[in-house]
Amino acid sequence: MNKIITKIIFVFICIGIMIHCERDDICISTVEGSPDMLILMLESKTGARKSPSGFSVRAIGTEKTLPQKSFGDSLALPLQISEAVTQFEFILNEGSENQNIDTLQINYQRLDEFINRACGYRANFILDQSPVIILNSGNNWIKGAIILKDTISDETAAHLGILF
Amino acid sequence: MKLLRTWVFCFSILSCIQWANGQEDKMIDATVLDSLNKTQKIPISLRFGVDLSRIIKTQATPDFRGFETVADLRIRENFFIAMELGNEEVTQQSERINFTTQGTYYKLGFDLNMYENWEGMDNHVLIGVRFASSSHSQNLNSYQLLDRTPFWQDPELVIDSGFSTGSRESLNAFWLEFLVGFKVQIVQNVYLGLSLRLNRLISDTIPENFDNIYIPGFNKKTEDNKFGAGFNYTLTYRIPFRF
Repeated sequence: MNKIITKIIFVFICIGIMIHCERDDICISTVEGSPDMLILMLESKTGARKSPSGFSVRAIGTEKTLPQKSFGDSLALPLQISEAVTQFEFILNEGSENQNIDTLQINYQRLDEFINRACGYRANFILDQSPVIILNSGNNWIKGAIILKDTISDETAAHLGILF
Repeated sequence: MKLLRTWVFCFSILSCIQWANGQEDKMIDATVLDSLNKTQKIPISLRFGVDLSRIIKTQATPDFRGFETVADLRIRENFFIAMELGNEEVTQQSERINFTTQGTYYKLGFDLNMYENWEGMDNHVLIGVRFASSSHSQNLNSYQLLDRTPFWQDPELVIDSGFSTGSRESLNAFWLEFLVGFKVQIVQNVYLGLSLRLNRLISDTIPENFDNIYIPGFNKKTEDNKFGAGFNYTLTYRIPFRF
């Protein structure tokens, strides 16, 4: 009889321990967050990957400079989650006499994807059929854009190719 | 001479049988008496009640509303068919997610009493198994987006409308429960009981773009882990009527 009671108390303690082990309440740092859009600069004649001379990108609507994340030859552009569009200035020959600024608007839909209890959700984006509108007229150095991957759910490959 | 011995032999055999019979008669008497005692103690009886812990929790916490009724049917001295029926509505802020789970559940199984009572006592040390099922809905009230490199917005921005928020209806879960517990007769026919349960999830319908973070009756479901735990604290009444 005593043995049974001892065993039962042991099981009680085990259950108590199990109730308090909550291992997935911490969002592990290896879990990827909301992805940025990766763009590739492509030469329109040859289709080759190439960085234009004196090239830089500035986000419109903020004073902050874009984070310099390195993804090989592609460039990471963060998209706004509160809007369905984000505007960037693409600058060619920055600082020199023949500086040329084109204003591009990226159109997309947002879709939130469940990760887990601790991490919450991740914002994914789906590029529209016409993902890029050039807002300024005349003397455009950007020739167009092609969708490489219309769903922005990770940062493993470029999503948009910008032709110049 | 030979004949006499044969008769003696036969007589002694018979007397042995007679003596043995006498012994048996006495034993039968004894067992009959004993079993009569026992039959008075082993009626099929029905016991029902409520879980006090859920009532107290409903009163004490604004984000929990739950009720559980329990019943068991004694079919052998130490064997019970047991069931629980409950309803819960739970709102939780879990890290980056705020959700409401609402649903009903039932659990059906048996209890085995391990405790040998003294004359006139009726207390139980129980082990038991339940098969349980829930039908519930999950409503995602609000959530935060995970952004490792925030640029445009505050990473703590709470999204409380549109997108992935909203209700996921007609969800189900099935699980097994293993329990240990005890019941003590505090006054005639009234019992106070406590049981601890280890739950093993068998299957559940995953809500679209969300998860069954909480399942009524099962409690918290953790990721990549099929086990959960729960308990109840019951007050039950045995119907004095015997079937």
